[in-house]
Amino acid sequence: MKKNFLIGIILLFAVWWVVATVHVLDAFFLPGPIEVLIDLAQMLWTGTLNADIYATMVRLGLAFGIALIAGIPLGILLGASTKIYESVEFIIDFFRSLPATAIFPLFLLVFGIDDSSKIAVAAFGAALVIIFNTAHGVMNTKPSRIIAAKLMGAKKLQIFKSIVFWESLPQTFIGIRTSISLALVIIIVTEMFIGTYAGLGRRIIDFQYIYNVKGMFGIILLTGGIGYALNLILAKIEDKVVHWKGK
Amino acid sequence: MTSGKEIVVKGLAKSFDENEVISNISFEAEKGDIVAIFGPNGSGKSTLLNILSGIAEKTKGKVEIADFNPNKFSYIFQNYRESLLPWRNNYENIAFPLRLGKTEEEEVRRKIVEMERIFSFKANLGLYPYELSGGQQQILAFMRALITEPEILFIDEPFSALDYGNNLLLRNQLQKYHSKYKPTILAITHDIEEAVHIANKIIVLSNKPTRVVEIIENEAPYPRGTEFLNSQKFAATKKKVLEAFQRGAMQ
Repeated sequence: MKKNFLIGIILLFAVWWVVATVHVLDAFFLPGPIEVLIDLAQMLWTGTLNADIYATMVRLGLAFGIALIAGIPLGILLGASTKIYESVEFIIDFFRSLPATAIFPLFLLVFGIDDSSKIAVAAFGAALVIIFNTAHGVMNTKPSRIIAAKLMGAKKLQIFKSIVFWESLPQTFIGIRTSISLALVIIIVTEMFIGTYAGLGRRIIDFQYIYNVKGMFGIILLTGGIGYALNLILAKIEDKVVHWKGK
Repeated sequence: MTSGKEIVVKGLAKSFDENEVISNISFEAEKGDIVAIFGPNGSGKSTLLNILSGIAEKTKGKVEIADFNPNKFSYIFQNYRESLLPWRNNYENIAFPLRLGKTEEEEVRRKIVEMERIFSFKANLGLYPYELSGGQQQILAFMRALITEPEILFIDEPFSALDYGNNLLLRNQLQKYHSKYKPTILAITHDIEEAVHIANKIIVLSNKPTRVVEIIENEAPYPRGTEFLNSQKFAATKKKVLEAFQRGAMQ
């Protein structure tokens, strides 16, 4: 953990606390951080949110898993051939530039209103980011190690397995870390649509409807915390796997 | 050191676009020769080695390497940092060429132990290359190149990453290896002392467009210890090389 890590957290809560205390906004619409945290702790303690956390995490896990399983091999495949990549580059960049949630209605039509449409659209958005980064990692492999391996008599597949794959890993990890944040965003947003009975996104919208502003802020905080923690875990895994990065 | 011509280069030329960088280079190396390619910076020495190894295309001329066997050829690049594999530990870096040929583990281990002994390599093989000093990484690159017992070895600036003490040490170790396995070595250097110390043949190159100014035979017996650097033979050869170098630099 970085040395100045706590400063950001303190700053966030301090600004929030000041704004809430001087009543810039109506206290009803912006409760103070302490009230919100106490309320969140109570919800967590009593297990009110268990079903929602579980539902969101399962959707996220599945979407992220599918994105990894589909995205990495596809990215490698596309990156290995500049010709193939160039021919599909437009499709990848087009959909990458489009908010995945905007095409959620299309996924609803294809997958129906149950969980599968949410998982599919999040997996789609996340996979695009992984494909893009993995492909670029593979394409930007430095020629020096490949030349050295070729001179040692390495065959194409050996060069791929022992050089190209590893050289592309740092860039692949950038894609993986971006994709989990994106998948969480998409899952939360799609949970706000119809057909969801449990999920943190659903709960945020519900609390908004019934003016439980404290509860709404609590879940927003929780969601941010989950996203942050997942990123932190992936960063740790990255440090272990791509141990040579920056050295 | 004569048992037949190993490398024959005739009228080799290389142009980039219309620009001639190498013009009409010819030389021969016998089996077991240590040939130093000595010339000013930017004289296309690396390009020459890249052409001979097939990495770069030649524009004109002929390169013949007798009974060339790609599995018995090694090339140590100047930029060892970019040729070692940082995701493999030191042991696996040295073993890499053998792994490509699916050599048995016992054989790999035996050869690595031998390499460690020849190069007096004391660093932990379980560590990664980036955890070693520049000099140790350079030696790692040497061990990786020599573990296949190459018949032909190309080295680009072999001692560039080393301080003077380690530079002398590696020169001795390279001679030790050479006396046992007798590979034909082509070594690029811009250091006149290195060239005269280890090579039995010194090819002096000119400024661009590069040509051979003179090929100087350096017949002192091996092993050449540090005392050789104080000998009259060394001084005389160095003088010859320097004169040729100056002629080439003035063209």
